[in-house]
Amino acid sequence: MPGRDYLGEFEHIVVLALMRLGDRAYGVTVRQEIEFRTKREVSIGAIYATLDRLEVKGYVRSRLGDPTPERGGRSKRFFHVTAKGAAAVTRTQRAFQSMSQGLDLGFLQSYS
Amino acid sequence: MTSQAYLGQPPRLAVWFINLFTAHESAESIFGDLLEEYSYLASKSGVTFARRWYWRQAVKTIAHLFGSGYRAAPWSTTAAAVGGFLLHRFVSGLPHKLLSAVTDRYLAFWSTHFNAYLWVLKGMMPVHLIASLFVGCVIALAVKGREMVATVTLALVLCALMGSAMVGVARHLPLGVVWMLWSLADPFAIVVGGAIVRMRRSAAITLAKPA
Repeated sequence: MPGRDYLGEFEHIVVLALMRLGDRAYGVTVRQEIEFRTKREVSIGAIYATLDRLEVKGYVRSRLGDPTPERGGRSKRFFHVTAKGAAAVTRTQRAFQSMSQGLDLGFLQSYS
Repeated sequence: MTSQAYLGQPPRLAVWFINLFTAHESAESIFGDLLEEYSYLASKSGVTFARRWYWRQAVKTIAHLFGSGYRAAPWSTTAAAVGGFLLHRFVSGLPHKLLSAVTDRYLAFWSTHFNAYLWVLKGMMPVHLIASLFVGCVIALAVKGREMVATVTLALVLCALMGSAMVGVARHLPLGVVWMLWSLADPFAIVVGGAIVRMRRSAAITLAKPA
């Protein structure tokens, strides 16, 4: 059933962050981008747990960069969204739009 | 992130805790990312602020790694925890069974050396802990890569059982703090057993890596 391939809330946020960052997407930048835009503190563990899950699903791919001294000689792991991941984002966005169509969201905001 | 002037080390204990829960293939990127942000924060906002941030990250990261580790293999982790629970029930009863057998066999000796008997009874406490440590090691050996997830799961189950038992007992008897803390020693020893196996495996992998 193709409709089952929706992204979870945090998965959706992470994939959108990868899309925004492009070639600069690795743990630190993804975490900071999400914190900056959603104003919520995110742990690096949450980012990697989600990215690993997305990689297993085939929505993202990763590659290791060169080791750098400010990271204690450790490599950065860069991520990018695959075509399958981009399709899942589109599907999820459409589902959100479809569900919110016709709703008075300004009225709903008074409850938040 | 821009260049970092500060190259101090993050809290060692926090690093050690994260290392216990991190998969070997993710360890390099997770520790690299944490160190990069820690160095940046330490040079920008001070070491105290950076250390506090690192500890907060460590606690949240461990919680996420524990959750994702369990979700990655829920059945084998649950099976290991259930097997560990049964093994713990069997092993933790053995020292007392042995003591009862010895007491019955040499009843005349113990009745004249009652103080010695009390000392042997006290000696059962560390034996009990060693049994729990053994159980933790066995579970950790059974689940490669998820040593801490399996042992912490079992420890949480034991804590929940003890907690509910304590609530039942507390209705009829006053409970001492020392006794309550002592009852947590078993789950703690199980987790320590898991940590020992995990550390040994991590060390073996590090040694096996080409320089």
